[in-house]
Amino acid sequence: MTSQTVAVRPELPGGRPAAAALELRDITKTYPGTNALTGVGFVLRRHQMLGLVGENGAGKSTLLSIINGTVRPDSGTISINGEAVRFGHPTEAARAGVATVFQEQGLIPNIPVFENIFLGREDKFCVAGALRRKAMIAEARAVLEELEVDVSPTALTGALSFGQRQLVEIAKAFALSRVYPVEPIILLDEPTSALSDHETAKLFDGISRWRSRASFVLVSHRLSDVFATCDEVVALKDGRVVEQRSIGSIDEVGLHELIVGRQRNAEYYREALQREPSPTIALRASEIGKPGHLGGVSLELRQGEILGVAGVLGSGKSTLARVLAGAEAQGSGDVVVGSAKLRPGSRRDAIRHGIGFVPAERSVAGIIGTDTVDWNLTLPNLGQIALGLLGLISPGRSRALTLDWMRRLKVRAPGPSAACRTLSGGNQQKIVFAKWLARGVSILVLDDPGRGLDVGAKEDIYSLMREIADKGAAVLLVSDNLPELIGLSNRIMVLRDGKVSAVFEAPKDAKPREVDVVAAML
Amino acid sequence: MADKPASAAKKSSDLSLRTIILPIVAIVLLIAYFSYVNPLFFSSSNALNIGRQSSVLLMVALAGTVVILIGSIDLSVGALVTLTGILAALTVDQYGLLGATLVGVGVGALVGLVNGSLVTMLRVPSFLVTLGMLSILSGVSNQISQGQSILFTDSLLPDLVNGSFVLGVPNVIWFALIATGLLTVVAFRTKLGRYLYALGGGEIVASHAGVPVTFYKILAFMLAGAICGLAGVMLTGQVGAGTPTAGSSLLLNSIAAVVMGGTALSGGIGGPHRTFLGVLVIAILTNGMDVTEVNSFTQDIVKGFVIILAVSLTIDRSKYLFIK
Repeated sequence: MTSQTVAVRPELPGGRPAAAALELRDITKTYPGTNALTGVGFVLRRHQMLGLVGENGAGKSTLLSIINGTVRPDSGTISINGEAVRFGHPTEAARAGVATVFQEQGLIPNIPVFENIFLGREDKFCVAGALRRKAMIAEARAVLEELEVDVSPTALTGALSFGQRQLVEIAKAFALSRVYPVEPIILLDEPTSALSDHETAKLFDGISRWRSRASFVLVSHRLSDVFATCDEVVALKDGRVVEQRSIGSIDEVGLHELIVGRQRNAEYYREALQREPSPTIALRASEIGKPGHLGGVSLELRQGEILGVAGVLGSGKSTLARVLAGAEAQGSGDVVVGSAKLRPGSRRDAIRHGIGFVPAERSVAGIIGTDTVDWNLTLPNLGQIALGLLGLISPGRSRALTLDWMRRLKVRAPGPSAACRTLSGGNQQKIVFAKWLARGVSILVLDDPGRGLDVGAKEDIYSLMREIADKGAAVLLVSDNLPELIGLSNRIMVLRDGKVSAVFEAPKDAKPREVDVVAAML
Repeated sequence: MADKPASAAKKSSDLSLRTIILPIVAIVLLIAYFSYVNPLFFSSSNALNIGRQSSVLLMVALAGTVVILIGSIDLSVGALVTLTGILAALTVDQYGLLGATLVGVGVGALVGLVNGSLVTMLRVPSFLVTLGMLSILSGVSNQISQGQSILFTDSLLPDLVNGSFVLGVPNVIWFALIATGLLTVVAFRTKLGRYLYALGGGEIVASHAGVPVTFYKILAFMLAGAICGLAGVMLTGQVGAGTPTAGSSLLLNSIAAVVMGGTALSGGIGGPHRTFLGVLVIAILTNGMDVTEVNSFTQDIVKGFVIILAVSLTIDRSKYLFIK
C-alpha cells in the first residue's frame, strides 16, 4: 500500500530544499450539520516541523484524525513520500510511519514502558504464540537510548512524570520505524499543554536532536512553542486553511490575526447597547492566589458592567472564574460581595450572595442531559415552585416558570419536558443562563459561554448578556475568543501566568485593538 | 442543526417509552401464558398470593432504587433486612410493636449513615463499602441468632402484618403499596427527590447549582437503610420469627427488579414507580413458575435469562462510553 523505502525526490521547483514527507490535497470532511473541513491542503517537508494552529473547533483535531487513519475523509488525497495512501484503520497509518502523540495521553498506565512502546505490534516478537519479553525490552531500551530518553523500559508507565510519558510516546513513534522500515511522521497534539517550562524545554531539545530522522506536525495553542520549533505554520479557521507561511515571514501578532481571522463586527456584539456601568461595586476580589494557577489577582466588578478576562490557555483565567463563583477554593485572598466575605469553594454561599455560574464544560457541569428542560432550569429554583405546608413541588408552577423563560430566551425545544440532551448546544446554553436568571442573580460569572456554539446561537447569547448587564447585573466574562471579549466588555483584564498583565478600558466608541490585547497575553 | 436534535429526541423518547412499556408487555404476556397453562393462576386468591410473596421484595427494591438513582449501589440491603428482622424478633416482646419498629428503622438508618459516610468521606466506591457491609451484617446476624430462628410471643406484629383490614387485602400489601406511593411523591414532588435525580444525572451540575452533595448522598443511603429496616420488621411479622437466612434472596431479586423496571444503574433515570413494575415482573414470573410446577433449579435458569434479556432491551447505552 505504501512504499517500504524512504523515497528522496529531486528538489522541487523554486529551490525548496526537501521533498514532501506528507502532502494533503483538498481534504473535505462533513459531519451531520457541520463542515468540519473544507478543501484543506498543506505540505510537510521531510525533516521539518509544521505548526498547525487555529481556534477551538477550527478543525485541527479532525485533521489529525484523518492523517492518522482514525477518521476517513469524504474526499481529497493524502500522499506520503509522494505516494497516495488511503488509510482504513490507524494500524495502516502506523505501517506508513504515521504516529500520534496525543493530548490526552495514549499510554496505558498499568503496564511497563516497553509493553506500551510495542502495544499492538507484539507480533514482531512472537514465537509460537509466546512473547519474547527479553527481545522486546532490549529493543525498547535501544530506542530509548538512541533518543537519549532517560527512562527504564521496564519501569511502570504510570509511575513516570507527565513529561517522561510524553517522551515515551515519541519513542513509541520511533520504535515503529524500527519495526516497519519507514521514516516516522510524528503528529504532536498539544504536547506541552500539561508540561512545566523545564519539561517543555527538554521535550523540544529532544525533538530538535531527532529532526534528522523524522518529520513532525505540531498542534499547539502556545504560539511561542510554534515559533520556537516550527519551520512552517498552517493556520486553520472554520475548517479551511487560511494560509501556509514560513515561520520567518510572520510574527506572533500576525499569526494570531490569521487564527482569529474575522474582523470585529460591532453589530454582532451589540456594541451600540453597551452602557456605562454604575459606580456601585457588586463584587470585589483581593489578592486571589492559588499555587500554580493564580498569583494574587485583584479586581472590582461593578453593577451593569461586563468585565472581560483574557489570557492564553494556562493563564489562570478559568481558575479565576471558578474561584469567584465558589466552584473552586482559592489558596489565599478574599471574594467580597457587599460587605460579606464569601466562603472559599462554596457554591452554596456564592449562590446565597447572588452569583450565577455558567461553566465552560456545558455537558458535564452545565446541563444534566438525562433530565428534562424544566428539571434543569428549576434545579437551583425549587423554592419558587414549592407549594403548601409540605413544600411539595408544583408541576404546574415548574412548567409555567420554564415556559416563561423558554419564551424570554427564545429556547427552541419541543417543550419543558423534553430531555435536555436532545437540545442543540445553543439551546442548552440558554437553559444554563435561564437557571440563574430565573433565580434573579445580581452577578453572573461566565466561563467561555460561546464555546462550541454556532454563529446564530452566539448572537442570541450576546444579546442576552447585553440585556442582563442593562438590567444592572454584573457580568464577568472569561473567553478564549478575543473579538467577542473586546466587543462585549466594558473593561478587559488580561492575565498572564496567573497575574494581571494589563487592563484595557473598552468603551463602545473606543474599543482596544486586538493586537494590543494579544501583546499583553503573550 | 435542525435534524440532529430532532432525530435524537425521537430516539430518546423511543427509549423512555420502551423502558415503561416493556415491563407492562412482559407482565401481560406472563399472565396470559401462566393462565393458559394453569387456569388457577388467574384468580384473585393467587393475585393476593403474589402480593404477599412480593411485598417485602418491593420494599427492598424501593430502598435499592433510592441509592441506584444517585448512581451508587447498596449491596447490603438483603443482609440489613435479615439483621433488622432478627432485632425486631428479639425486641418485640419487651418493647412492643412500636419499639421493635423503631429499633428496626433506627438500625437501618444507622447502617445507611455508615455506608453513606464511608462512600462520601472516605471516597470508597459504594459497591465495595456495601459489599463489606453485607458481610459484616450477615456475621452480626449469625452471631446474635447463633444461626437459629428467633421466636417471639407477641401477636400484635404478626396480626398487623398478615391481617386484612381493608378490602380483604393483606396489610403487608397495603404497606408496600403505600411505601411505593409515598416514595414516588418524594421522587417527583420534593427537593430531596429532585436532588437524587440530579446527583445521578450530573453530580457536578448539582454541586454548581448549590446542592449539598455529600449531605444528600448520605441521606439517600440512610433512607434506603430505614426502608430496609421497616422491611425487616414486616418480614419478621410475616414469618412469625426472625431468621438468619430470611433476606438472602432479596439482594439479587431486588436489583433485578429495579433494573428491569427501567432505573439505570448509572443513575438519574427511573424511579420508584418503575421499580413497582419491575417487582411485578419478577413476582409474577416466580409465582407462575411455582403454579405451573417448574422445578426450582429451572426457575433460577429462566429468571437469569429474563434478567439479561430485559436489561439488554432497556439499558440506555448512550450513558456508557464503554460497556465493561
